Amino acid sequence: MDVYALLLSRLQFAFTIAFHIIFPSFTIGLASYLAVLEGLWLASRNPVFKTLYLFWLKIFAISFGMGVVTGVVMSYELGNNWSVFSATASPVIGPLLAFEVLTAFFLEASFLGIMLFGWRKVGPGLHFTATLLVAIGTLISAFWIISANSWMQVPAGFARTAGGGLIATDWWAVIVSPSFPTRLAHMTLAAYLTTALVVGAASAWRLLKEPDDDASTTALRMAVGMLAIVAPLQLIAGDVSGKEVRRMQPAKLAAVEAFWETRTAQPFHILAWPDMAAETNRWELSIPGLGSWITAGDARAEVTGLKAFAAKDRPPVAIVFYAFRLMVGMGVAMIGLGAWGAWLSLREGVERSRPFLRAMVAMGPTGFVAVIAGWIVAEVGRQPYVIYGVLRTADAVSPVGAGQVSASLIGFLIVYAVIFSVGALYILRLIGEGPVEGAEAPPPPLPRAPGSALAAAQQDPGGAP
Amino acid sequence: MRAIIEPPPEPGTPPRPLWKRLAWFAALAIGGSLAAATLAWMMKALLPAT
Repeated sequence: MDVYALLLSRLQFAFTIAFHIIFPSFTIGLASYLAVLEGLWLASRNPVFKTLYLFWLKIFAISFGMGVVTGVVMSYELGNNWSVFSATASPVIGPLLAFEVLTAFFLEASFLGIMLFGWRKVGPGLHFTATLLVAIGTLISAFWIISANSWMQVPAGFARTAGGGLIATDWWAVIVSPSFPTRLAHMTLAAYLTTALVVGAASAWRLLKEPDDDASTTALRMAVGMLAIVAPLQLIAGDVSGKEVRRMQPAKLAAVEAFWETRTAQPFHILAWPDMAAETNRWELSIPGLGSWITAGDARAEVTGLKAFAAKDRPPVAIVFYAFRLMVGMGVAMIGLGAWGAWLSLREGVERSRPFLRAMVAMGPTGFVAVIAGWIVAEVGRQPYVIYGVLRTADAVSPVGAGQVSASLIGFLIVYAVIFSVGALYILRLIGEGPVEGAEAPPPPLPRAPGSALAAAQQDPGGAP
Repeated sequence: MRAIIEPPPEPGTPPRPLWKRLAWFAALAIGGSLAAATLAWMMKALLPAT
């Protein structure tokens, strides 16, 4: 095994998947938001909901396209860089990814066309059906991807073949593996939070420039309502998920909390400098007993430390420890922002507080940061295994050279930098323009000079001005 | 993008016949599926034959 090829393959997959998750974590929530907007427009015929729908539909279409482009790459990576993993686990995990394409991606791809091109052609009722199907498709997509990843975290319902491969013996146990339900809830709530933060930030940005914009006021109120409800729910989902990690992946939990010794009344380390070589924290800022209470629900509970595991079975501690604190820090800030917004809503109106609008704009990207940090906790915390307890990452890599992986990694860095820059700039430009009523109407014909041959014509039959 | 996304019918516009709306619904859905399938087939061609 070429250790550099292994490291570069891991870097490449980490880079491409971190890039990719930005888009689904936004479009899952945005598709549901679009369905809510269209449903409200159908029920009330309030043009504000239509204006918001048409505005966010443009951004959804671009984000969906970028999500597809960045997601396809990973299928090739699984074959090229992780061929041993593919050969070993594809009889179990392959169908899950195939189901995602067949049941979710095709649903989204089929009905996105109606959302974009068919409102007048199919009428309001069928158009709303298409929007609902796309929103359901994004959730089905999350279902299968989290199912596949949860199986890699806590594998169940499989057996080893004589040749060393894996086969499914119980598909229900594979699809709904032990950590799947809470992880699906945690990811779906994260997607809704990410969308609420982006919609809220875009609306707040607009309101800072045009305080009387009706569409942005409505969107901001909806985003704040979502944030106030979902952010505390996410705290609960994260807590349940964390307690499951203690039972199912104790080495990961020990790394998350930088616990080295197995003991009762573990402290909670607010900050620390974990040193894997010395098997200790060089320094730590801690609250006694709180670690056991958070992870086990009892301040006197015994929680396993990293020294209970062989050094070769421990995940990298510092990355997991700090990624977790970044995620939780962002989550607490979201809860605070939601509570502040809810309080303002009951008083002067959330759209009238300029400090809140500025804070909302500043918090816009934090959903993406928290999602990526959370995935770093999940994936780096599972190391040194790619399938926990079954297949080590070092044994899953393809027999490729470091030079080959370097070349493709550099290619990805360049192509992704271009795609992301162009896509992100275009989305930011659209957000900067804001939702404008009637923006989708065809442009009026250009004025014709009095006395010209076509001045008297009402409409050019050829369609040209 | 402005000209591509179709807005809803203007208020008061009589609805098209149901069969036409259903035909457009089916045509656009099948068109979307075919576009995704065609792209997938073209990408599969990039893989070396085994």
